[in-house]
Amino acid sequence: MRFSEAKNHRVVSTTGAVTVGRLREFVVDPRTAHVVALSLKKTEGSGDTLTWNNLKAFGPDAVTVESADVITAAEGDLIMMSDKHHRILGKRVLTEHGEELGRVKDVEFDPENGLVQSLLIGSEEISGSRILGLGSYAVVVRL
Amino acid sequence: MTVLMRAKEIIRRPVVTLAGDDVAQIKDVVYADDQGEVAGFTLAGRGLFAGPKKEALAWTSIHAVGRDAVMIINEEMFDQRRDIVDKAQARGGNVIASRVLTDTGTDLGKVVDAILEIGETARVVGYAIDSSEALGRGGRTVFIPLPDTIAVSGEALIVPSTAADFVSDDLSGFGASVQAFRDRLRGEKH
Repeated sequence: MRFSEAKNHRVVSTTGAVTVGRLREFVVDPRTAHVVALSLKKTEGSGDTLTWNNLKAFGPDAVTVESADVITAAEGDLIMMSDKHHRILGKRVLTEHGEELGRVKDVEFDPENGLVQSLLIGSEEISGSRILGLGSYAVVVRL
Repeated sequence: MTVLMRAKEIIRRPVVTLAGDDVAQIKDVVYADDQGEVAGFTLAGRGLFAGPKKEALAWTSIHAVGRDAVMIINEEMFDQRRDIVDKAQARGGNVIASRVLTDTGTDLGKVVDAILEIGETARVVGYAIDSSEALGRGGRTVFIPLPDTIAVSGEALIVPSTAADFVSDDLSGFGASVQAFRDRLRGEKH
């Protein structure tokens, strides 16, 4: 699945069968090249972060969770990874040798486990396994 | 593999960690010795994590000098400015605006930039000069190769007269010119 296909996903609680939030942003950990959390909008409580291990399923039309209780405030590394400076979409891509390849237009990920399979840069695809870092300036990829 | 770059191209390039943060930008090139080896760079602040202590980068701390960014492993790689600048005799900086004279007394032009060969190490292999009439290039900026040893002062740069035969109009052909020029010099000595 692509980030662009999932950008308006609802988050639905399976116990209450109600929408408990909407997907705002994917939070990517560059060290593991996985989506580790979803940043949400229109949540009921004060929290806006849904960690990947609290997902029930990432479906074609909606994300399901057990209940709204699993939506919490970001903690630890997630605070930095979910701020606006670490958003992967639109980010410049640099090789580790300092050459710019373009900007991230979309991301292909596995909805089963959150693995980032590839970054789409114009017509080019770069394997997620090449990601070295995701910072305020760029996604850095291995040669 | 080595690439050629103009020293001025590198100035203002961002310094980016492998984690993807821009932590500084290149302010100037610092040369280590009379052979024009690059010792490192002085830095200016930039980005979210700009701080006053990140003043310089030793060449050995650099992961790669690329077309779009200078890459470092992490923010632990910064060095104290005095550690790098004190070791250096700012050769490349000093020669900007110097006249280039051949050993037979012809003025070839004025130095406007240094040309660096960048690989495992980085060193000056030539200069961009605003050519004099004597060079017959219509006053254009051209690239002139340096021998591997050279006499320099702040006032003038003395090159063998054969250097004039290896002037290049663009950087893409310049690497071959440097090599051919140095081969010729070595041939003459034998």
